[in-house]
Amino acid sequence: MQRTLAYWFVASTGRKSPTSPWLAIAAGLTALFVAIPLVYIFFRAAGAEPAAWQRLLQARLWQLLGNTLLLVVAVTCGALVTGVSMAWLTERTDLPGRNVLRAMLALPLAIPAYIGGIVHLALLRPRGGLIPLALEEIIGRPVATPSPLGFWGAAFILTLFTYPYVYLLSGAAFRSLHASLEEAARSLGRTPWQTFWQVTLPALRPGLMAGALLVALDILAEYGTVALLRYETFSSAIFVQLAGRYDRSAASVLSAVLVILAILILWAELRVQGQRRFTQIESNWRPAIRITLGKWRWSAFLLVASVVSASLLVPLGVLIGWSLQAFADPQTLEAVFRAGSRGFGSFVWNSLWTSLLAALLATALSLPVALLSVRYPSRISRFIARFCQVGYALPGVVIALSLVLLINRTLPFLYATPLVVVLAYVLRHMPQAVRSSESALNQLSPSLEEAARTLGRTPLQTLFQVTLPLILPGLLAGAALVFLTSLKELPATLLLRPPGFDTLAVRVWVWAGEGFYVQAAPAALILVLAAALPLSFLLRQEQIFSDSSIS
Amino acid sequence: MNTLDIQHLSKRFANARFAAVNDISLALKNGEILALVGPSGCGKTTTLRLVAGLERPDAGEIHLNGRVVASDTVFVPPEQRGVGLVFQDHALFPHLTVSENIAFGLRGRKSAEIRTTVNEMLELVGLTGLASRYPHALSGGERQRVALARALAPRPVLVLMDEPFSSLDADLRGAVREQVRSILKAMQATVIFVTHDQEEALYMGDRLALINQGRVEQIGAPEEIFHTPATRFVAEFMGASDFLRGEAIPEGIRTEVGWLPQPAFVSQPVQVEIALRADDVDFELSETGNAVIVERFFRGAFNVYRLRLDSGQVLHAFKEHTQILPVGARVRAYISAGHPLAVFQNGQVVSNGADYYKKGAEPAPFL
Repeated sequence: MQRTLAYWFVASTGRKSPTSPWLAIAAGLTALFVAIPLVYIFFRAAGAEPAAWQRLLQARLWQLLGNTLLLVVAVTCGALVTGVSMAWLTERTDLPGRNVLRAMLALPLAIPAYIGGIVHLALLRPRGGLIPLALEEIIGRPVATPSPLGFWGAAFILTLFTYPYVYLLSGAAFRSLHASLEEAARSLGRTPWQTFWQVTLPALRPGLMAGALLVALDILAEYGTVALLRYETFSSAIFVQLAGRYDRSAASVLSAVLVILAILILWAELRVQGQRRFTQIESNWRPAIRITLGKWRWSAFLLVASVVSASLLVPLGVLIGWSLQAFADPQTLEAVFRAGSRGFGSFVWNSLWTSLLAALLATALSLPVALLSVRYPSRISRFIARFCQVGYALPGVVIALSLVLLINRTLPFLYATPLVVVLAYVLRHMPQAVRSSESALNQLSPSLEEAARTLGRTPLQTLFQVTLPLILPGLLAGAALVFLTSLKELPATLLLRPPGFDTLAVRVWVWAGEGFYVQAAPAALILVLAAALPLSFLLRQEQIFSDSSIS
Repeated sequence: MNTLDIQHLSKRFANARFAAVNDISLALKNGEILALVGPSGCGKTTTLRLVAGLERPDAGEIHLNGRVVASDTVFVPPEQRGVGLVFQDHALFPHLTVSENIAFGLRGRKSAEIRTTVNEMLELVGLTGLASRYPHALSGGERQRVALARALAPRPVLVLMDEPFSSLDADLRGAVREQVRSILKAMQATVIFVTHDQEEALYMGDRLALINQGRVEQIGAPEEIFHTPATRFVAEFMGASDFLRGEAIPEGIRTEVGWLPQPAFVSQPVQVEIALRADDVDFELSETGNAVIVERFFRGAFNVYRLRLDSGQVLHAFKEHTQILPVGARVRAYISAGHPLAVFQNGQVVSNGADYYKKGAEPAPFL
């Protein structure tokens, strides 16, 4: 019996001894766990009365679809252009200050887009924004400034805080690209410009595609920024249905459409992932020669500096300024520390423990999935690994909706406990853990595990004495990523938290929504700093901080 | 009692068109080194992994020191087989030092005993000074020796080596090969050694087993395999042979380059192929000859000439390094072996002079 089950799991490929049934069961259960919210949403959408469908189809659906797709396309294009050009300038040219800029360009990942949006909104708001006010002061009459509200504002803000995905992936690709590839193109009669378009960019294409599709998924899921800037997309419409009108049928229908959209993008992304090859830096690897910018040097520097300013320095500077202001004013300070039921310390602590627990759980759950798919490749194990990445296609609002409905119905004792929030983080961010664990295992030669077996270790001893110690850095990277994204998560936390359970993200959102920017600033600043820690660990792994491999 | 007995072992991977191992039987005596040699993908590594317990056989039995470790009803997992395995990529644990790597298989013994054994092994492989280094700080040859020491330390009944020298540079390989063979012999280890390099197999093996498409083509001493190949494949694989067509009758063989008076065990005239290595063929300049020089390869100590016979058949011939003859010159090629040659009909040997090599008998008269 055991043998047949095991053989079923290795049906399509060879070389490996039969799968441990325990591993297969653990991975299967994980897949089942992540499947529940997805299946449930479709179940509910299908069960919605036809009238709800009718209403939505007539009135809202097409407009929402248009709005959402427009934003996705605009931000993805913006992030691609910004990300690739920033990566090229810092990796391939003699840009002044490139070593510092290289790290600074990645750091906006630590700033949730809605916090960036809050800052830019406070600065640029048509009426009462700090910049229009200052200009009016100087010139003496109101001046028209670009408004951050609406489509263009949302596209601008979201581009600023999502381009680092593309930037990091293309930067890594630029670094690992063989110099001889471009040299060969040059020796075959191409100019540097032609070489870039005909050789370099096509070689980067899989990495760029992956980055672009991740950005697209992120935008589909984005709630805070679009709500703040009053641009209606699926996510914000679902949130309104859920939080305001309690029309769960309508929310389910909208969610199902959004999830189908996201699954299409995820499917494309997984296909691109499959085409990406592991680019190993061989011993004869040498870096490409830097392009001399010449008279363009300082204009290029200004360009990069303005991106860094808008996405990192200005938000940070404003948050620091506001925080100082808050600390200087005893009344605001009092409000900061007495807010909520238990005060400042409690929501810092809530943010940390929920994100940390989610990171640990997601990493632990990803382990059997990754072990099965990497060590016992078969159609089924690959399917499980792919399936566990469905969280990418489940926006926070959708996960919140399905958990609200499910837990109400099946596990009422969990309802209104912080554990539901943790559950949402795990479901949403499991893909990052699965990918990190898989890539860590892929880099571990199976012969190390086989060596341990022939030297007298059982499979379980091998796992604990050889496999786990060696893939630990990869697992930590995955956990750091889950921690980082959970910390920034807003919509699911807003919808699922028990009354009085505040996290940093929730507090910042609530205060900013009431217009108390100065009061919100210390929490926002701490949130950004807490997110910057795991991020800098990840960037160090990417070697973004060290120039040793490049100079 | 044999240290290892393999009987009718077969293994076929799911979705594979051919069996990786197809009814292989082998036996190893204590202290013997058997080299499994064959082209890549022939099943030699799978055989090794089956013996180590890293794969489960479909059929057949494996006995280690008389104990059944794999059969239709028994499967002993690798950790309980007491078999040492040296991996192609060495598979040293990067998180452990050299001495921790060597001690990895000694778990459960007294710490004093472990220390003594590790020191003995370090001394044996000549790495005493490097005990506390990590694998990444070792050279390729040093890693190779640590891998060997780690496999030998628990005193395994059998040592399996999977192309252990393939990751080393060519100039290092020769030196490491000598060291490893003398270490194995000093330990009196019983070894199966897998390689696709015929020269390495000839050097390392007390006996050779030629594997092709999952089957054993021939087993024997290196000299036996080299001189009296049992099949055309063996002749082709062991020492680049040309195959000269001829017609065999009981008294000898008629060929394009003359009459070969080597008796063939045939009852009626049949088409055969004679395996000829470059040292079996010679030629002289002759306007009325039967071949032309197509190419000359200067090998330093000697020249290799490629000749094309009038039929289009290609033969290779050695000449001294001073004998430089022009390409395009017409020559008369002839067989100058001075010993019996392997003759094949449909890939199977019909005459190979096995008697000659075994008994040291007088050679039959040759050209």
